Amino acid sequence: MVGDFKGSRILLVEDEETLAVGLEYNLTEEGYAVKWAKNGREAVEFFESENFDLIILDIMLPYINGFEVAERVRKANPQMPILMLTAKTESADKVKGLERGADDYLTKPFHLQELLLRVEGMLRRKSWYKHVSEKQPVYSFGKNEINFENLSCKNAGEEIRLTPREAMVIKYLIEHKGEIVSRKELLENVWQLNPDVETRTVDIFIARLRKYFEPDPTNPVYIKSIRGAGYLFTEE
Amino acid sequence: MRGKHSLFYHILIFIIAQLVWLSLLGIWIYWYVSNYIVFEKVGDQVSPQLVYDVQNTLPFILGLILLVGLSFITSLIFRHLNVQLRITQLYDNFIGNVTHELKSPLSSIQLYLETLRQRNVPAEKQKEFIDMMMKDADRLESLINSILKISAQEKKKQLRDYQVYRADLIVKNLLEESFEKFRIGKENYSINGEAPCEILAGKDSLKIIFDNLADNAVKYSTSAAKIGVKLSCNTNKFIIEFTDNGIGIDLKEHKKIFNKFYRIYNKDIPNVKGTGLGLYRVKEIVRAHRGKISVASEGEGTTFRIEMPVYRNSKN
Repeated sequence: MVGDFKGSRILLVEDEETLAVGLEYNLTEEGYAVKWAKNGREAVEFFESENFDLIILDIMLPYINGFEVAERVRKANPQMPILMLTAKTESADKVKGLERGADDYLTKPFHLQELLLRVEGMLRRKSWYKHVSEKQPVYSFGKNEINFENLSCKNAGEEIRLTPREAMVIKYLIEHKGEIVSRKELLENVWQLNPDVETRTVDIFIARLRKYFEPDPTNPVYIKSIRGAGYLFTEE
Repeated sequence: MRGKHSLFYHILIFIIAQLVWLSLLGIWIYWYVSNYIVFEKVGDQVSPQLVYDVQNTLPFILGLILLVGLSFITSLIFRHLNVQLRITQLYDNFIGNVTHELKSPLSSIQLYLETLRQRNVPAEKQKEFIDMMMKDADRLESLINSILKISAQEKKKQLRDYQVYRADLIVKNLLEESFEKFRIGKENYSINGEAPCEILAGKDSLKIIFDNLADNAVKYSTSAAKIGVKLSCNTNKFIIEFTDNGIGIDLKEHKKIFNKFYRIYNKDIPNVKGTGLGLYRVKEIVRAHRGKISVASEGEGTTFRIEMPVYRNSKN
């Protein structure tokens, strides 16, 4: 089922033993190599000493919470896909998780199949992204220059780092330059999520991208909103 | 964050309200005094027969009483509002904590059920998974019970399943059960002292006390929890002293820890899970047994001291 991603290394950060044992079993059965961290401190230790392809991260963790772990991981490795898994359902927590660098968010209780699909999707997107960024690693518009390989981007001399998901969104918009891209389309292609429930997520990412690339984020010139339709990338 | 803000706004509104009252009071006095002086100066000339002393002082005093009274009432309302606000905050935390505590075991059970349905799990693993599910089901049950029983306790509808027990025997048994439940090995606890007296107690209620104390000892220890229990009796009281080697409790928190929904935050050991009901229940149960509970903690380690009245059969 996993195909090319067999053997991918997953760091599972979960303090609930019963849940962690079940997840470890399922992920191992899918062919992934799983390392289980019981708390935030262990998670950071493992992350610093070993290589992983993906992190599944709980939020309520002993010692260092999931938000902080995500921030530390992002700082050290902007390309690491992070799937947050948590019992918190308030949208504020969700926004916080995505802002701190999570790429995806799954609330407990979840369906096994959905989790496995998301993990696979994230790994696939990671490799798709690697593939396309090798073809055209640098793209410039206005005063911005984005390097899709190392996720750095320069705008007017300043250098910032994008998260993998941010890079994927802007890459998708650039590839569809001059066309209106709907939220639904972005969710289906970049997130591979059910568009009925998650449109707010797209808006959060667009707001972040505007902050990076627009001279005046409140009056966007590159990433325009088309009322009732979606977003439009243009270099006019 | 939101809570802090609203507290700040309440304090600000209170201060502004007080300032308004005080300035009104100032203006009132100023108005009265200046009028009085003018009146006194010209009054005699205009109408020497006019008697103004009594009539003018009365509204002045009444006005003062009214203003002071209003200001006092504002303070009362503010105090009441503050208490309500704090309770709401605690309740919000509680709902959040309970949601988390309910969802974790539920998602684990769901995960195992889906795993068993979708995969060919070897028999040995199946047994392990079923054990895990049982554990989660137990967790759910005790959480739901604790919430339901709290409200029953509060409504004084608690079932009186009280019986007379020999104090040290029953307590020792229950303690051992609790330690096993929370995986505290024999090498990590000791139960000392003799208490050959009798107590009138509910076995299930006592179990809840020791479960909560053992659970807290485990949750608030950075390494393996070590527990020492001392039992003793005097003529009137049966005394249990339950000491752990955990992170300890700040003096200023000693009273609060028995409050409903109250939870301690300690930066050395953040994100401890719980509902804030445990010690509240313990206190309520001890009270229902006509006993007392107190806490002592200096730096590391905490001692809970429970006193219960010794049972005396009137026929003896």
